[in-house]
Amino acid sequence: MRLPRFFGKKRGHRRTGSQAWGSFGEAIFYAALVAAGVCFAGLLFSGAVGIGSDATAPAWSRWWLWAFTLLIPGALLAFGLAGVARTVRAWGKSEERRAAAEGISNLLESMGQSPGADRGHPGVPTCEDLVNSPGTILRYRLPIESPESWTLVGMGLFAVLWNAVLVVLAVGAGIDLLSGRIEWVLFAVLMPFAAVGIGGIVLFVRRLVLTTAVGTTQMEICDHPLFPGRSYDVLLAQSGSGVFRSIALTLEVEEMASFRQGTDTRTERVIVWRETVKEWTNLEITPGVRFETHVTVTIPAGAMHSFASAHNAVRWRIVVRGQPERWPGFVRVFPLIVYPATLTRSTVAGGLTLVDKVRR
Amino acid sequence: MNGSDESNGAARPAAPRISMQFDHPLRQYPVAADLVVLYEVEGVAPGSVRAVERSVLWYTEGKGEEDLGVHHFERLDDATHVAEALPTGTIAVRLPASPLSYEGVVVKIRWCVRIRLFFATGRDFVSEHVFDVGDIAPALGMVERLQ
Repeated sequence: MRLPRFFGKKRGHRRTGSQAWGSFGEAIFYAALVAAGVCFAGLLFSGAVGIGSDATAPAWSRWWLWAFTLLIPGALLAFGLAGVARTVRAWGKSEERRAAAEGISNLLESMGQSPGADRGHPGVPTCEDLVNSPGTILRYRLPIESPESWTLVGMGLFAVLWNAVLVVLAVGAGIDLLSGRIEWVLFAVLMPFAAVGIGGIVLFVRRLVLTTAVGTTQMEICDHPLFPGRSYDVLLAQSGSGVFRSIALTLEVEEMASFRQGTDTRTERVIVWRETVKEWTNLEITPGVRFETHVTVTIPAGAMHSFASAHNAVRWRIVVRGQPERWPGFVRVFPLIVYPATLTRSTVAGGLTLVDKVRR
Repeated sequence: MNGSDESNGAARPAAPRISMQFDHPLRQYPVAADLVVLYEVEGVAPGSVRAVERSVLWYTEGKGEEDLGVHHFERLDDATHVAEALPTGTIAVRLPASPLSYEGVVVKIRWCVRIRLFFATGRDFVSEHVFDVGDIAPALGMVERLQ
């Protein structure tokens, strides 16, 4: 028997260490967690650790303490047993065999849960979430994927939570003050807390004004999903008021890859293709009358389709970039799903020929 | 040979060699086409192989963690089937509609045929041969890096 190497090397796809020894080490780790969980639970139940043994305490507090204490061995056992089961299931199996087994279980799950999913296009995300909102003029209204909105939600949550804590502390300090006691330490803590709380509200209100002042952007499309080599009618509607120095509508392809760097999981996103569909300059929008225009978006023939796997993705999107005269610029993203151009078979004299034909 | 052979483990006694012959020129297949591959395994003593796995799959390459999707998988682990699958054999499968082979900037998608031999000694050996599905133009480069 060959002894394990403690330091392996990575040679391309391959590692010099033994996969079997790696799995064995992983199994030992999870088994140790199970053993720790069993020991901890044994100590609790045998009474060696005096949890909940205080006879003077009320019954509900003893049970609560028991339940809370059992969380630790329970978590150790659950985590350890799940790990051992996973290691045993994968033991001695190639990555293809494991992936094939996962593929079958995913297929069975999807058959039961989402009958609308297109199983004929592996790796291509479904567009169910993009076609559930009908448009007012064209067939579908595209949902917006705006990072600005999430920033606004985040700032709002922070302002609410921080100020809720501040109010609780301030009420306590106020009661003390009314009763004639002054807790200087509490007041000293409250001052910077209050400054951060007020700052949070100011930033949230500012962001809210900036987000709503330029008006909403709406996008509608005549069909979805999209196919390479075809053109689609798109409606852009921009509400708001005042002069926009420019509004540009672009079609983009984004690649996204997530990877581990040390203990962090990082995501890299790059735009690999961009085409300006149309750009408008010095546009004056009057309040109550939105700017509406139709443009044609063409997916180039031979273009890559939308793709999504656990750690990698290729995404299509329509992006609207606006520069109002009196406000900061904005970027609004509308995701699209592009399917691969499929081939239909047609038998011709002399054999089978494949004809490139877009599926409708 | 546009493929790679690798063995799992450090010391390798006389690695086998697996060659493959694809039925399409330049190993380029249209979507939903039939893939037929003839393979030949050399350098393997009769009776030394315990099991054979033959698979057609795609995997991602690039900056992200590797993702893998198996389109076709078969494991032959009884002596009769292993004897039939060696030293030559055929893999015939209809390719799916997606994903297509892609040469992106941080995401690349490759299709390949893999043959994995499991030896009676516990060692395994894998041979991978890449082919293309579809005819997608490679990404020309990075336009912008997003935050």
